[in-house]
Amino acid sequence: MSYDYHRPRSLAEALDIAAATPGARFVAGGTDLMVQIHKRAAAPAALISLRHVAELGGIDNGARLRIGSSVTLTELQAEPAVAAGYPALIDSMRPFGSRQIRNMATLGGNLCNASPGADAAPPLLVYDAVVELRDRAGAREMALEEFFVGPGETALAPGEVMTAILLPPRAGDVRSVYLRKARVKMDVATVSVAALVEMEEGSCVRARLAAGAVAPVPKRLRDTEGLLVGSPLDDATIARVSTAAADEISPITDVRSTADYRRHLTGVLLRRALERLRAAPGEGVL
Amino acid sequence: MREEVAFRLNGHDVAVEVDVHRTLLDVLRDVLGEMGTKEGCGEGECGACTVLVDDAAVVSCLYPVCEADGTSVTTVEGLFEPGGELSPVQTAYLEFGGTQCGFCTPGMIMASVALLAENPDPSEEEIRYALTGNLCRCTGYVQIVESVRAAAELMMERPA
Amino acid sequence: MSKYRHVGTEAQRPEGADKLAGTARYIHDITVAGMLHGAIKFSEHAHARIVHIDTSRARALSGVRSVITADDVPEVRYGFMRDNLVLKKGKVRQFRDEVAAVAAIDPDIAREAVDLIEVEYEPLPSVFTPEEALAEGAVLIHETDAAGRPRTSNVVPLPCRHASGDLDAAKERTAHVVEGTYTVPRIQQAALGTSGCIAEFDRNGNLTITTKTQIPFLAQRDFNSILAALGLEGRNVRVVVPAVGGAFGTGLDTHAYEYISILLAWTTGKPVRILYDREQEFAYLSPRQSASMFIRQGCDAEGRFTFREVDVVQDNGAYTSWGATYPNVMLVAATSLYRVPAVRFDSRIVYTNNTYCQAMRGYGNPEITWPIESSLDDLAAAAGIDPYEMRLLNSNQPGDVTPMGLKLATCGLTECLDRTAARIDWKEARGPERRTARGVGMASLINVGGGGKIYASDGSGIILKLDDFGHVNVAYGGVEMGQGLHSALTLMVAEALGVEPENVHINETDTATSPWDVGTHASRGAFMAGNAAVMACEKLRARIFEHAEKVYPAEVERNLARLRDRGEDVSPAGFDYTSVTRDRFDLQGGRLFVVDAPDEPWLQIDLGRFLRAVHFTKEGGVGTIFTEEAFYEPPTELPDWDRGIGNMSASYTFGVQGVEVEVDVDTGEVRILRLVAVTDVGRVLSPQALRGQMYGGIAQGVGYALYEEIKTEEGRILNAGFTDYKMPSAADLDFPIELEFVETDDPYGPFGAKGAGEPGIVATAPAVGNAIFDAIGVRILDLPITPEKIIRALREKETAVAGAGGG
Repeated sequence: MSYDYHRPRSLAEALDIAAATPGARFVAGGTDLMVQIHKRAAAPAALISLRHVAELGGIDNGARLRIGSSVTLTELQAEPAVAAGYPALIDSMRPFGSRQIRNMATLGGNLCNASPGADAAPPLLVYDAVVELRDRAGAREMALEEFFVGPGETALAPGEVMTAILLPPRAGDVRSVYLRKARVKMDVATVSVAALVEMEEGSCVRARLAAGAVAPVPKRLRDTEGLLVGSPLDDATIARVSTAAADEISPITDVRSTADYRRHLTGVLLRRALERLRAAPGEGVL
Repeated sequence: MREEVAFRLNGHDVAVEVDVHRTLLDVLRDVLGEMGTKEGCGEGECGACTVLVDDAAVVSCLYPVCEADGTSVTTVEGLFEPGGELSPVQTAYLEFGGTQCGFCTPGMIMASVALLAENPDPSEEEIRYALTGNLCRCTGYVQIVESVRAAAELMMERPA
Repeated sequence: MSKYRHVGTEAQRPEGADKLAGTARYIHDITVAGMLHGAIKFSEHAHARIVHIDTSRARALSGVRSVITADDVPEVRYGFMRDNLVLKKGKVRQFRDEVAAVAAIDPDIAREAVDLIEVEYEPLPSVFTPEEALAEGAVLIHETDAAGRPRTSNVVPLPCRHASGDLDAAKERTAHVVEGTYTVPRIQQAALGTSGCIAEFDRNGNLTITTKTQIPFLAQRDFNSILAALGLEGRNVRVVVPAVGGAFGTGLDTHAYEYISILLAWTTGKPVRILYDREQEFAYLSPRQSASMFIRQGCDAEGRFTFREVDVVQDNGAYTSWGATYPNVMLVAATSLYRVPAVRFDSRIVYTNNTYCQAMRGYGNPEITWPIESSLDDLAAAAGIDPYEMRLLNSNQPGDVTPMGLKLATCGLTECLDRTAARIDWKEARGPERRTARGVGMASLINVGGGGKIYASDGSGIILKLDDFGHVNVAYGGVEMGQGLHSALTLMVAEALGVEPENVHINETDTATSPWDVGTHASRGAFMAGNAAVMACEKLRARIFEHAEKVYPAEVERNLARLRDRGEDVSPAGFDYTSVTRDRFDLQGGRLFVVDAPDEPWLQIDLGRFLRAVHFTKEGGVGTIFTEEAFYEPPTELPDWDRGIGNMSASYTFGVQGVEVEVDVDTGEVRILRLVAVTDVGRVLSPQALRGQMYGGIAQGVGYALYEEIKTEEGRILNAGFTDYKMPSAADLDFPIELEFVETDDPYGPFGAKGAGEPGIVATAPAVGNAIFDAIGVRILDLPITPEKIIRALREKETAVAGAGGG
């Protein structure tokens, strides 16, 4: 379980080390990878720390909100631009691990682990997040939805690093919410959902729904969200939506829950999420 | 691979050559002999290994020791002067029964110190939320919460 | 005002400052020069023949000092039924079976060497439930018993049954009957400090083992057998207990890792430490026993119990530890919680290929209280009686002798019921004005409070040693593991001897210096220690006052001389201090004085000065020092388990918990709004420590009720760590817990106190279950009560209602 540890100061240096070191893995906060190493579920030849790579830090509120992949969750929670524009993302941070974990874990790390229950994923999916990836050849952008390939699997090519998460600006009557359930407060989500609607004259003109821990990847519920568009957020619509979601997910049974209960919870949480959006914009709760 | 890691530990400079794959917890305990910080799970869930790195609470069991290079690390041993009085947080825990078996205690204390540095007057709910990552099997947390609240009062009366 | 100066005062934990400073030394913090690190190779099958073990690659690894299998060391049997081997021979019966072990110069090398050991197995059919294990033709987990006699079934031969009263006649008088089969899961004790030990031999073959145990003296006895196996019969075993990071029953037996560290220390000639990490603690230690309990109970038209029948089946796992004796403790509540005129109790303990089970706080009592108290509410509903009224009607009373023969010298159950009902606003909270899906429930408990005799002796010794400076060193064989034994004992010694608590020092538990004690379990620590301490203190005081007759006059004259030197005029006022007799002396707060003139400073002698005067006697006399021992054996009986009769405890603790809940009927989540616990503890010794025991027990009870369960698949644990096994955090226990204590002043208890370590966990789950039943009308029979089970039950209820409506 011995491995080398590199602390590059620039992205170029990090990418060079990765290219030169077979079996190396990038690590940011380490709150997931270090656990895997401790349990001997991962045995990298080397770790390349991204904590000191200047290009990966910071939050930049430009045309799009650019969140450096190594921004910690604590930093993210304290960022007014995130709180103002993307409240569901903030809400997903509150039950995320513990304070100690949030002080270490990074947004990029949470996404790159590609856990089906990754807390930050459903809100970012409903905000149409794009991730910026870079290797020695250059940078590319990709919709977050495409980034997730399977449990623990992403679209990252060998030697490629996620550099930033990009969020489009918000306009109009856009409302979003994040809800999750877990066995206890500090636990991987049993089910999480994020919902976003854009309302015009009482009718939904754009809808995004996403759920965590109910499929091999954090899942955008495209078919289900289609039912919202053009409808008011009335009880009948909400009921239809919360029932329809069951067809779009494929939960498993594990130590946290059965597949059955996950299916049930997804419907309940979607209903509650939409009821909340109907009542007040941009409000989320635990 | 070995490397020299230098940091401030409880106000003193230390420089140690370490295997780079070690965690800060390993090095604190096995190399530096600071046994106050405990391993309760090794996976960041229980918080017994909580220390402050540059004043932020982290779980030292998941903290690569190399990342401590150039930082200032505070453990439970750094909260009081040798031979001197315990810190207000420790004093409150003693008075209000915030420790039982004591194994979670150093981590619980460090999480409490970090909370009070950020929020000197926390509500019960804020205390409970801040300590979510510190498991205790003995106390049911009631006397821990009372201790943190009492520490807050004590520190507001007598600012350090 | 209390009649006591120290007992009952808000004192701080004597060992607390070291715990807060991080200087308390747990097994993880202790290293010994030259120490090696041990690691264990565990089974990879639930049940399999061991065909071959290849240790060659492990032995060849640099830094490895010893690799052992059953073929390399003498056979050592251990465990309650001697059905376990330290290193397995022939076959493995569970995933945690120890098949080989390594000692190496560092823990990583030891672990690597373990990985290099290759074991070839031939898998055998396995059984994972008592039903499978009891089925016709089921594979035998043990073909023979410890003596080599063939076995014919998987039932562990540990009978425990009871029959009292005329059951048939009682059923005749019965107006209402309810029955159900309730189950409880395996859960982890989950002490924050994991297990470990360091074993070392001296050159004479004497063994010292520093280990996390609750039973230093029974461990000493157990480890004698391994010395015999090593050809060291008659050598000394010394068991030293460091600071214990919580135990909750895990330390109630000796463990294979302890024997293995001894074997490795013997084969290497070096001290060997074995530490478990969290994953190993989950996978390779014994959890709390699961059980399935059928209960049927009935009452007459007024709601008086007429009979109770209980059949317990416990999944023992592959070997037998103390967990198999849970039915002995279940008998207490099964026969004696409320007045029940006819009781039948039967139990079966069944071997399976699951990991073997052990003790945890409450030891059978939270298990049995779950069906008794849950079904009581069903019975009350059937009879149309308020469940609180029904409890009152059937409440035990002081002076009762129960069907098991328990003699209830004191019993505050009725008062606990009344105070709980008042605090939880019973009538209002259950009334029509409440919010939907809210409800309250309560549950009572009886627990041994004066020891629990399940061994030849249930006694405790104590040694009190006074030094030349007025300090008292206490050698006691019980273990402080966070419960506050030292808090209570310090106050009791201070009280009984007449010194200040800061002058009382409790030694590290060490079989070489502490007198025998059966172990720290069954809520017995403070009760036993206190009784022994009171006896020893009385002896010390008698000797002090005897010697005071001789030295007192001279010491008073020294007082007077000193005062005169300072120019103060003290006139003896006619008081004759030269011939005070022993019966006129008293010692309080470390000062010796005469009861006839207690307030005169010049008549008071500092204890240290007095002790020096007696020790370093002048005028050519022979001095003496003061050390006294006492052994307290409670006035109890080892029950006849075949009849289930015997007064196993000197005192019995009673209590009631009341809980208000709100259920989210969409998600099935249960939110506890508040919890009240009223407990008859006889006397509060150390309020801070007692509250800690209650809060902590309740927190574990909430975990047991709502969250905790070890999940396995074919004998392999699926949630071996805090990521997957969830117990409540501070944020989960976000409801007020109100404690109240009833002081019934038990005649057998030290200062009237009864044991209180376990009661906190006993009644929580049924109180929560009853509150849920009150809130939404569904009853979950199997713990934990997860949201998913609630949703399922609500759906079934809807279907049943719809079905009934349709029909």
